[in-house]
Amino acid sequence: MLKTAAQEQLLPGNSLQEKWEFAQSAGYDAIELRAKGDFHFRDRLPELRQALADGVVMPTVCVEMLHFFGAFDAELRRDAIEQLKSQLSVIAELGGRGAQTPASYGMFSRRLPPFEPPRGEAEEREILLSGLAEMGEHALREGVTLYLEPLNRYEDHMVNRLAQAAELIKEVGLDSVRIGIDSYHMNIEEADPAAAIIEYAPYIGHAQVSDSNRFQPGAGHLDWPAWLGALHTIGYDGYLAAECRLTGDPATAVRSVPGFLRRSGA
Amino acid sequence: MTELLQAPATTRDGAWRGAAEVLIGNWTGTSTVPSRSLYPHQWSWDSAFLAIGWRHLSPRRAQRELESLLGAQWGDGRVPHIVFNPSVPLGAYFPSPDFWRSSAAGAGRGAPATVETSGIVQPPVHALAALLVHEADPEISRRRGFLTRLYPRLARWHDYLARRRDLGRGGLAAVVHPWEPGMDNSPCWDGPLARIEPAEPGTFRRADLDHGAATDRPTDLDYGRYVRLAAEYRDAGYDDAAAPHGFAVEDPNFNALFIASEYALAEIAAEVGAAPAGHLARAERLTRALLDRLWDAEAGVFRCRDLHAGGDGLIPETSVAGLVPLIVPGLPGPVVDALLRTLTGPHFALGDRTGLAPSYDLRGHAFDPSRYWRGPAWFNINWLIERGLRLQGVPERADALRSAFLRSAAGSGYAEYVDPLTGEPRGARRFGWTAALTLDLLGSVSPTFAGPRRLARHLAARPHRPSTSSTRAIRAHADAPSPKLSAPLEQGGTPSTPRPDPQRSERHPLAAGEEPR
Repeated sequence: MLKTAAQEQLLPGNSLQEKWEFAQSAGYDAIELRAKGDFHFRDRLPELRQALADGVVMPTVCVEMLHFFGAFDAELRRDAIEQLKSQLSVIAELGGRGAQTPASYGMFSRRLPPFEPPRGEAEEREILLSGLAEMGEHALREGVTLYLEPLNRYEDHMVNRLAQAAELIKEVGLDSVRIGIDSYHMNIEEADPAAAIIEYAPYIGHAQVSDSNRFQPGAGHLDWPAWLGALHTIGYDGYLAAECRLTGDPATAVRSVPGFLRRSGA
Repeated sequence: MTELLQAPATTRDGAWRGAAEVLIGNWTGTSTVPSRSLYPHQWSWDSAFLAIGWRHLSPRRAQRELESLLGAQWGDGRVPHIVFNPSVPLGAYFPSPDFWRSSAAGAGRGAPATVETSGIVQPPVHALAALLVHEADPEISRRRGFLTRLYPRLARWHDYLARRRDLGRGGLAAVVHPWEPGMDNSPCWDGPLARIEPAEPGTFRRADLDHGAATDRPTDLDYGRYVRLAAEYRDAGYDDAAAPHGFAVEDPNFNALFIASEYALAEIAAEVGAAPAGHLARAERLTRALLDRLWDAEAGVFRCRDLHAGGDGLIPETSVAGLVPLIVPGLPGPVVDALLRTLTGPHFALGDRTGLAPSYDLRGHAFDPSRYWRGPAWFNINWLIERGLRLQGVPERADALRSAFLRSAAGSGYAEYVDPLTGEPRGARRFGWTAALTLDLLGSVSPTFAGPRRLARHLAARPHRPSTSSTRAIRAHADAPSPKLSAPLEQGGTPSTPRPDPQRSERHPLAAGEEPR
């Protein structure tokens, strides 16, 4: 049976402890944290340590910033890498598994004007490889994993498919860098999401779930049994972390996810 | 992903993962290829068995599998045995679309104009598969209108078989090419095929030998005859009334599946608000005809009937096709008992010398443990026998067969078929229905077969008739009321003595040179 997690902002409650109460009652196995910039996540350490002491399960963290390690601007790239390294250290201190980031988000799309990014593909590849190597080595030292998340073509122009992420990871050559897959993006980008999971099985480290319309699993039209069946097939032992918007009554929507995923073969 | 297949296949998880990986790997987007190397298109009865496996992994893909096959149905109702993938090169499989020329040659029979198919058929497992797929997730099935859309197509398919293929006028569907019963080179066809002049070897090129060992495949001489028969059918516009049908055989496997599917169609009809009665009546008529025309009480097995031969036409070969009627509900007790004796006796030695039933008599003159349907054990047939054993109330034998199936399927790398004595894998590996039916046996220890419980619900609504020994097998399921079949089946006894049939002509229509209907 695959384990489920909900991102913290989806859960009602004023503290992680309250959110955990709700999450457990809804059938989740964990909470996925979110990490803002300016070392905000590091500054939450007292709160996070207390939550850990109170039994809250927090295996993963997902970056919540507006610039990333693939930014066009060199200073923003540098900051993004430092933030991620700090986030990896924090999740390591909490005994977690790793941190997830895309190459970029909302910066450029080859599907929207002006269509051609301001730098060439060779330069972009170099930037991605050096960023992944630096963060991956830091993750290795900390004993955790960096999850690279392919986004759909409208949100990122560099890493859209599992094949692209796997190729970069192979080149970097670190076990501490894996793919963080996302059902929503895969639905847009992969010819066959289930087959892609099988093909890139050795590179998959984390999984986020939302439906075809970015709402909670069950609110759209993804073929969940096939997708989840493929994860079972490769022996995936990580979490299915709900990163989604909610439609309908928010608490009811969040509560519906673990049961829906179970019924769909999780 | 060889690591996955090498994962401990002997465990339940290992077998599940290996089988799921094969299915996902063979999926093309709308259907599943039986094998990436040997069979790169969509095959009719493969699709049905594949859907039965897919329902455990993705009910939606299971539905798509059947929808895409039925989407290539001909106007006359036939479901073609191959639907060609236009992106696969012509040379990858023979006979290719340019041999069958369905859209042109079959236009008069309503062949699709935009999809190329073969012109022959395979056993009708589809309604049975559709029902099992529906039952796996009725909610998504109803939301997608799966059965509502499929029911009329399935009904027309069965009508085609009943109206256009009753060449012997005895109430059974006949096959007109050795590929139609699905057991392509069974020794049962040797006699009927011997009459066929083979096509010249230089006039066609086999593609199957590019990917398969010649010793595991049919011979060149057989292939020449297959080509001749198919070309003659094509040149007659695939018109069953006009084609010479140099080969015309009634096969117990084909007709047993027809019966099981007709019962399933009755359930489907009820689900979509249509009338089940006609389907139930046809299933019962077919069952009587099967017993009348193909049962050999002395041998304890159903035989194939050669419609061109003299005498009773029963072909003196013992094939596993003759045991598949175990899946037919309501067989007379003595018939079931005899079938079980044959299955476990020296000819098939199930549970003794073999773990899986061989495709042909171990003692037969033509037995070959390696060559396709002349001896090897096949997984779809053994799945049917496993279901049949449960239906007939012998669950301990079914359990043993299930275990042997799972061991052999996973251990052989999901082989197309295996040597029945040694278990050595033969034919293609990573074969679709072997993987699919592995998932089914892993997913349902208790039978969900269109067997007694649901069937009985429909039958119970019919006028009550006293139960007799004929329903022994059904009664063995203590939780299900006995289905009531109408006379003469219900009168029990072994129907080895042919009963007069007012519908049947004294002179055999084909032997007498008359045109079939």
